[in-house]
Amino acid sequence: MAEGDARADRYALADTLPVDIESLDPGMNVLVSGPPMSGKRQLVFDLLAPEAVPADPIVVMTTDDPASRIRAPFEDRNVRFDPTTFRVVDATGAPGDDDPSIHRVSSPADLTGMGVAFTQAVDQMGTPDRLRLGFVSISTLLQYVDAERAFSFLHVLSRRTSAAGYLGVYSIDPTTHEDRFVNVVTSIFDAAIEIREEEGERELRVRGLSDVPPEWTAFPY
Amino acid sequence: MTASEGGTVLIVDDDREVVRTYRRYLEDTHTIREAYDGEDAIETLDDDVDVVLLDRLMPGASGGEVLDRIREQEYDVRVAMVTAVDPDFDIVDMGFDDYVTKPTTRSELRQTVEELLSLDRHATDVREYHSLLVKAAALHEGKATYELDENPAYAELKARISDLEATLESEAESLTDDSRFVATLRAIDTTPREETDG
Repeated sequence: MAEGDARADRYALADTLPVDIESLDPGMNVLVSGPPMSGKRQLVFDLLAPEAVPADPIVVMTTDDPASRIRAPFEDRNVRFDPTTFRVVDATGAPGDDDPSIHRVSSPADLTGMGVAFTQAVDQMGTPDRLRLGFVSISTLLQYVDAERAFSFLHVLSRRTSAAGYLGVYSIDPTTHEDRFVNVVTSIFDAAIEIREEEGERELRVRGLSDVPPEWTAFPY
Repeated sequence: MTASEGGTVLIVDDDREVVRTYRRYLEDTHTIREAYDGEDAIETLDDDVDVVLLDRLMPGASGGEVLDRIREQEYDVRVAMVTAVDPDFDIVDMGFDDYVTKPTTRSELRQTVEELLSLDRHATDVREYHSLLVKAAALHEGKATYELDENPAYAELKARISDLEATLESEAESLTDDSRFVATLRAIDTTPREETDG
């Protein structure tokens, strides 16, 4: 994690979270964890673009939904999809037209290919000093590679963005994996944002940030 | 890593003088194999080879063609292109892990080989880190904290985990180099499956 940066260098979150976190340190990697249909993907996107005019360049790596379905929710919120500020690494293998803002990889099993596509996306954006990387999702990645390979990939990718001072936000559905895997993979991250549903009410808590108590807080849809 | 502490290096060049020179540079610390053309290189390559120094321009199969064959056959090997001119194309896109410009000095060549071997070490370290975390998580299950604290095996495990963490964090800075980042992922990708214990 980057050390002692001025507050202005932090990644602003606006009022994305119902707890008292206004910003995150450069170089941080955050895990967003929740069951299916709990809105974790939306939360990942909100953390990448808390406002309609994103403060930072964005790269979304996707292993499940193709680029078009990543793009739509951003466009719904009037975020401009422009290759100088917003790119998608689409590892779903979905076909598509040539588009400078989309980097296609044949399969989530091609870890090297995803790495190459990420470096191309960053290079072609002019190697910015700041960037927010979204990764959806660890759960799908696990359907293509074994736990050890997935862990290694996530470790290397997260350390690469951390060293560059970028913010990384990754999603996982803990209900589809063994607890042991979830515990082990969580250790890669600086903080985990957990979503759960209790009696029809959605709640959220943040673990790993020293100034935020890990208490369940209402997080209405 | 096999054969010797410093790993096995396959030198591929149609110029025998170049092969002889590189052998001299490396043979005190590495096990050396030689090949004088692309076909020869493919035949000489096996799972014991850790690093290939591959001449770009050779009669018959070019360095790029040989590289494609190596990648298709999924050898867990790091490959540096050896070229007379600085490459005007992206070595990352081509699938090379690094490159060496001819003529090279002894220290340059040794450093390139050392860096390629360190990529494997990084991949191995991440893998070991994962397997130790899995062990620690397994010990955690169904045990109270005080029971774990009294367990010397657990303390030993924790110590190894934090050592590895420190090593991995110290290497993280080098990952902002694109070719090193991609080559590290390739080292993870090409890890033979039977070695995994996940």
